[in-house]
Amino acid sequence: MTNELTTWLDTLLAELDGIEVRRTSRRRLRVEVASDALPALLELLRGRASFVHLSAISCVDWIDAGQFELVYHCWSYEIQSLVSVHTRIPREPGVYISVYDIYTPAAFFERDIHEMFGVWFEGSPDLSRFILTEWDGPPPMRKDFDSEAWVNQHFGWQDYHPDWLKDLEARGGGIAVPPNEQRFSRRTVDET
Amino acid sequence: MRPENYEAQRQPPSYDYELNIGPNHPGIEGNYAFKLRLNGDRVIAGRADAGYLHRGFEKLMEGRLWIQNLAITPRICVPDPVPMEVSYCLAVEDLCGLVVPERAQWLRVMQLELSRIAAHLFIFGGHAATTGMYTPMFWGIADRDLILDLFEEMTGGRVYHIYNIPGGVRRDLPDGFGERVTNTLDYLESRLPDYDNLLFTNQVFVHRARGCGPISQQQALEWGVTGPNLRATGLKFDVRRDDPYLVYDQLEFEIPTEAPGDAWARALVRRREIKESIRIIRQVVARLPTLAGPIRCPIPNPLAWNVPAGSTYTRVESSKGELAWYVVSDGGERPYRTHVRGPSQMHAVQVLEQLAIGCRIEDVAQIMFSLDACPPEVDR
Repeated sequence: MTNELTTWLDTLLAELDGIEVRRTSRRRLRVEVASDALPALLELLRGRASFVHLSAISCVDWIDAGQFELVYHCWSYEIQSLVSVHTRIPREPGVYISVYDIYTPAAFFERDIHEMFGVWFEGSPDLSRFILTEWDGPPPMRKDFDSEAWVNQHFGWQDYHPDWLKDLEARGGGIAVPPNEQRFSRRTVDET
Repeated sequence: MRPENYEAQRQPPSYDYELNIGPNHPGIEGNYAFKLRLNGDRVIAGRADAGYLHRGFEKLMEGRLWIQNLAITPRICVPDPVPMEVSYCLAVEDLCGLVVPERAQWLRVMQLELSRIAAHLFIFGGHAATTGMYTPMFWGIADRDLILDLFEEMTGGRVYHIYNIPGGVRRDLPDGFGERVTNTLDYLESRLPDYDNLLFTNQVFVHRARGCGPISQQQALEWGVTGPNLRATGLKFDVRRDDPYLVYDQLEFEIPTEAPGDAWARALVRRREIKESIRIIRQVVARLPTLAGPIRCPIPNPLAWNVPAGSTYTRVESSKGELAWYVVSDGGERPYRTHVRGPSQMHAVQVLEQLAIGCRIEDVAQIMFSLDACPPEVDR
């Protein structure tokens, strides 16, 4: 049964035009597909090849290419392999179609991606705010959103110098890191 | 949502009313809100409200080195932190093509299973408390503490261990540790009949839990339910067995399943999984002395580590269900994107909202605890 399905899946994927398939390990398959063909492919995977479990939808912001990459991870309990379907959509206007009618769990992931990346999914049941209920800034997971710049614009820094710290600093200690030793943090501020 | 921003929805006059459970409430795991619409004590609709624990970990991780992110990963899920760090390490190892030494893999399995028992004891007590029985809660937390003692000795940390690094584990076991693990396991095993007598033969629990929040197998597959909640509907699926990682394919263990899919079945599956985890750890303890050799493979300078470009999706079985990381590298010294898929993202939102419809108000907390929903995983 499992072997038949696996063969069937390979035949199905080989026959379809416009998709690129690569087996990355025994149980992992990477498929790249054009954005207009993705819902049809997922329908086939779920309906004909037993990929009933949508494990996750991930979004990657490729800002230099001006694209969002959406990755649909589908698992089959029968074939016991995971297909990651990659597709790319233009970053502007960032609109895509929902797969909620194929996979119910998609509702959560699409809502999350809409909130964090600003991608609008046509037909998703609920794209209202969920985690960032009172957030009025740009979608924060986009690459052009700089958390530190946002904090500097919207909040003030507070000096923290209690007496015990002054004593320490007078003796050459303390919690402040000299600028030439700051290797990983606040680099963006120093550069600008 | 802040209280000053809350506006009651305008509804036509009726006897329905709204009730907010959470964000701080003993019937909710962690900081999480569940907004109910009720008629009498019958729930008409429920709506999950998250965000009280959002720390922006995925964004934070994009700005930190691969090795620095190890300190962030376990904090995503507080009661069961180990699968988070292990799956993140598996992802980095997959991208770099590192081969983890066998001894390190067995050590990881030991840590994962200890964490599973600790998490199950925690939720087991929590579930009992929602039916009004606090003794199992005290017992569960007290017995979990013995495992935390082992963690402290093994890793240096009680709750967050950061014991795994890409390529292996940080340090080897202290002398005589296997014996102390065996002693603790013996004690835990001797406690299990007490738990059975206290909870699973207790008529209060039986009547409250049986038939509460039932999920059919078809619904479970449709809603993306995973882990013990899926196995409670009769489907024999476990990532450890069916998509094996580390050395789980060399270990002997059963996958407990129950048919009814209700709160009772979910509690029973967890209870039986504790037994199986004990069995796994005994095998690891027996096997470890035969495995000499390094506990980690050589890695590049972690402060200037350019991970090869690519993407990977690594899944593990946490105590709550399927846990996965999607990690993308562009060849730089920081991850380009990390995305965590926690089991509770399904259980605490869509599944909980569906199961709450039609149940009585006193069962809402029990449904949430029986699903083992972990809000930090939803918020991240």
